[in-house]
Amino acid sequence: MSEHKPRKTSEPKPPRSTGWVAEFSNEHALLEAARKVRDSGYTKTDAFTPFPVHGIDEALGIKPTILPFIVLCAGTTGLLTALLMQWWMNGVDYKYIISGKPFGITPASIPVSFELTILFSAFTSVLGMLALNGLPRLSNPIFTNPRFDRATDDRFFLYVDAGDRYYNRESVKELLSSAHPESLDEVMEDPSPTTLPRPIWLGSLLLVLAGLIPAMIVLNMRAGFSDLPRWHVFFDMDFQPKKKPQQTTTIFADGRTMRPQVEGTIARGQLTEQDPFYLGWDPSKVTLAEVRNPILVSTQDPAAQDPAPAQDPAPAADSPKSEVVVETKPADAATEQKPADPVAVPPAQTAAAPAAGAVPNLPWIDRLPIAADEEHMKLGRTKYEIYCSTCHGYSGFGDGLVAQRAASLLQDTWTPPSSLHLDRVQKQPVGQIFHTISKGQGKMASYASSLTPKERWAIVLYVKALQRSRNATIEDVPVEDRSKLSEAK
Amino acid sequence: MATIASSYNPREIDNTNDIPGRRAPLITGNQTYTSVTEMVCRVAEDPQPRIWWILFGFSSLTAVMFLSLIAFLIYKGVGIWGNMSPVFWAWPIVNFVFWVGIGHAGTLISAILFLFRQNWRTSINRAAEAMTIFAVICAGIYPGIHVGRAWLAFWLLPYPSLNLWMWPQFRSPLLWDVFAVGTYASTSLVFWYMGMIPDLATYRDRSKSPFRRMVYSLLCLGWTGSSRHWLVYEKAYTILAALAAPLVLSVHTVVSFDFAVSQLPGWHTTIFPPYFVAGAIFSGFAMVVTLLVPMRKIYKLENLITLRHLDNMNKIILATGSLVGLAYGTEFFMAWYSQNQYESFTFINRAFGPYWWAYWIMVTCNVISPQLFWFKWMRTNVVAMWVVSIFVNIGMWFERFVITVTSLSRDFLPASWGYYNPTMYDGLMFFGSFGVFMTLYLLFCKFLPTIAISEVKGVMAASEHAAHVEAELLGEAHGHGHHGAGH
Repeated sequence: MSEHKPRKTSEPKPPRSTGWVAEFSNEHALLEAARKVRDSGYTKTDAFTPFPVHGIDEALGIKPTILPFIVLCAGTTGLLTALLMQWWMNGVDYKYIISGKPFGITPASIPVSFELTILFSAFTSVLGMLALNGLPRLSNPIFTNPRFDRATDDRFFLYVDAGDRYYNRESVKELLSSAHPESLDEVMEDPSPTTLPRPIWLGSLLLVLAGLIPAMIVLNMRAGFSDLPRWHVFFDMDFQPKKKPQQTTTIFADGRTMRPQVEGTIARGQLTEQDPFYLGWDPSKVTLAEVRNPILVSTQDPAAQDPAPAQDPAPAADSPKSEVVVETKPADAATEQKPADPVAVPPAQTAAAPAAGAVPNLPWIDRLPIAADEEHMKLGRTKYEIYCSTCHGYSGFGDGLVAQRAASLLQDTWTPPSSLHLDRVQKQPVGQIFHTISKGQGKMASYASSLTPKERWAIVLYVKALQRSRNATIEDVPVEDRSKLSEAK
Repeated sequence: MATIASSYNPREIDNTNDIPGRRAPLITGNQTYTSVTEMVCRVAEDPQPRIWWILFGFSSLTAVMFLSLIAFLIYKGVGIWGNMSPVFWAWPIVNFVFWVGIGHAGTLISAILFLFRQNWRTSINRAAEAMTIFAVICAGIYPGIHVGRAWLAFWLLPYPSLNLWMWPQFRSPLLWDVFAVGTYASTSLVFWYMGMIPDLATYRDRSKSPFRRMVYSLLCLGWTGSSRHWLVYEKAYTILAALAAPLVLSVHTVVSFDFAVSQLPGWHTTIFPPYFVAGAIFSGFAMVVTLLVPMRKIYKLENLITLRHLDNMNKIILATGSLVGLAYGTEFFMAWYSQNQYESFTFINRAFGPYWWAYWIMVTCNVISPQLFWFKWMRTNVVAMWVVSIFVNIGMWFERFVITVTSLSRDFLPASWGYYNPTMYDGLMFFGSFGVFMTLYLLFCKFLPTIAISEVKGVMAASEHAAHVEAELLGEAHGHGHHGAGH
């Protein structure tokens, strides 16, 4: 008691006593004293030791802890969380097929479930231990005794709290003295202030507020809109060290990034561009100058060709609406407008536009490269009815279901499909019809990706037959079949 | 004053001998509770020896180099490494597995040896746990920077991103790895920290300067050593040990799944989980020996980390080294016995192909060198064991190199075969990771309790109690002269 010097600050009244603490030099003396205290009926007691002393719980009458049950609950929660998470994430919300593995809870869910069970349990046992022990507790009256520093070194302390039912200052002192302690002190309340000094409090508040600023900026930028280009903190793949077509380079002597074809080589698909079967026209009848024409360039790879710019409806839409009738070929008007409206149509598009818009005057072939037999006729009919009839109609009058519905909606943007029985369509060589199917025409898209050249020629055959059927006389029907015709009527 | 083995002269004592009927003391030199506190706290309280400053200067510079190289890697891309088709998993994964493996010893010593009541663990568990944390930190860096866009590494977590709006793929072992290594790192960290709380309180109570006292007060969370607290604390420690024991086995099992679940010959094998776990314990114990041998010398902790501790660790190294050797043999046996031509090719290629040198370095270091520990002279000679532990570290790095690179460089398609060459950055970064590891370890020695003081004292009390009971049973007059405690 004599060594204890409570800090005399602004507190005028003397600090209150919270109990007695006795110091022992070894655990055996402590255990003996603890039993004595317990047998005297005190329950608000505690011992402070540098290591867990075995038998002290029994000597002090400490009850077992409920920590294992808390950890069991946490572990179960972890397990269920993991199972629920995997089931929801990979089995319900974001299902994707990987190596044909099943969705939801599978043996593959075991590792993560195990790990989360451990993770939840481990953190709960540590945090639960701290919570059950009331830690962290930085201010404790027992620390006011300077001798108590040895409680974590080599001394053993026994403490009886003043809050005990049977507490009596003098009798507790007597009881503890009878155990022959090394020292016996009264524990006084810690008079030092328990609140944080104002500057620390304000400083921390300012720090927290300052720390919120970047988060607020990020949140504001994420939620709002801006006309400025986005910030590239990381470039990811937005800017790549590469060259695009039409750019210059210092790598090659001619300064161009695009490389000409190496002499004596043939590119993939190049052979087909020499064959009327794939084109509908005969390249051998065109001069070299005409071969340089963008139309021919664009025919090099029908499958890879992007129909979007070629089929751009902008020129057609620009043309006067009165022209948008069945007989009009709107793309014709676009070709005429092209030089007058260079801004609306970028150069790259004008180069490709003739391929779809204006039908070039090419040396069309006028004989079918396939046999006009029943097999091809049936093939052509099947494919026509699948791909063409929706717009052009089963009989080719441009009255397919799509055309009918579009007409009923009266939309300005709609360009009606042509009737195949118009005079100018009737006069087209077979090669030109093939070209139209392959490259598209006006608003009609290219069907090169859906139909093989043979199927396209079969459609041409069927279209020719349709046209003939609409302008036929009874003389065209073989004599032996005329009776069937009248039966059908 | 409670003492143990007071009748022995600490200078002449050989506690590596087991005399029947008498327990060999775990710590030597007539230690008391006071002297144990004194010996451990001195490490942090005394000015650090010159060798500490030299090592710290060197390793912190190396660590700075490592961090700068990571910055350069993020700026430039993973192309600065030697990873190239077909070896896309090269040193980064080798280094990851190497460090994770080393990180197994700490928790193994803390958890499994605790559950088996191996009291000798108390002198070495703290340092081993610290080593575990630092090794797992080094390990965790590698996958993080290997993903290419390191700033998006958090996509590994199940994170409800507004941009992606998708979830990770839970059927992939790589994701299991994220959970296993993440759980292991965080659980090891709290295990380590919880174990340190009573010792941090000791540091607090011995602090002279108010600042030091305040910092340790905050770190130890106001620990008083209350028996009511100790009861919950011990229960929590036991639960943590029981949780960490299967966890430590699961981590390297999951790491091995990264390989074993794939279809590549040399990887696709069911032996991998136990083989990897044995290898991890092997390398971890070797690293503990590598660190503790100089540490006990520099800080004069020979009486706490005795030859008996080192002897026990060397026995574990011998056992796990032999297990690893058995695994190498089993792989060859399975390659022959399965009559699978790809499997056979892979293993013949490992031993006699272009990477034969790596394979034989591995066998020499991992299988042959620990066999020296059959001799007690080797197990108790600090210089010899230190050299062997370095060999084991080298060998275990090469084991991961052999597994990763030889299998990848020659897979099913001979047209894509290649030979892997690391770049300067691979080498400097691996070296740099040792800088991070050593820097953290040296800081740990300077600021945190390197030996579990309270646990050592607890074991002292327990062995005194055991000796007392033993003496009573034998009817001897076993003079310890402590106060008559009512046992």
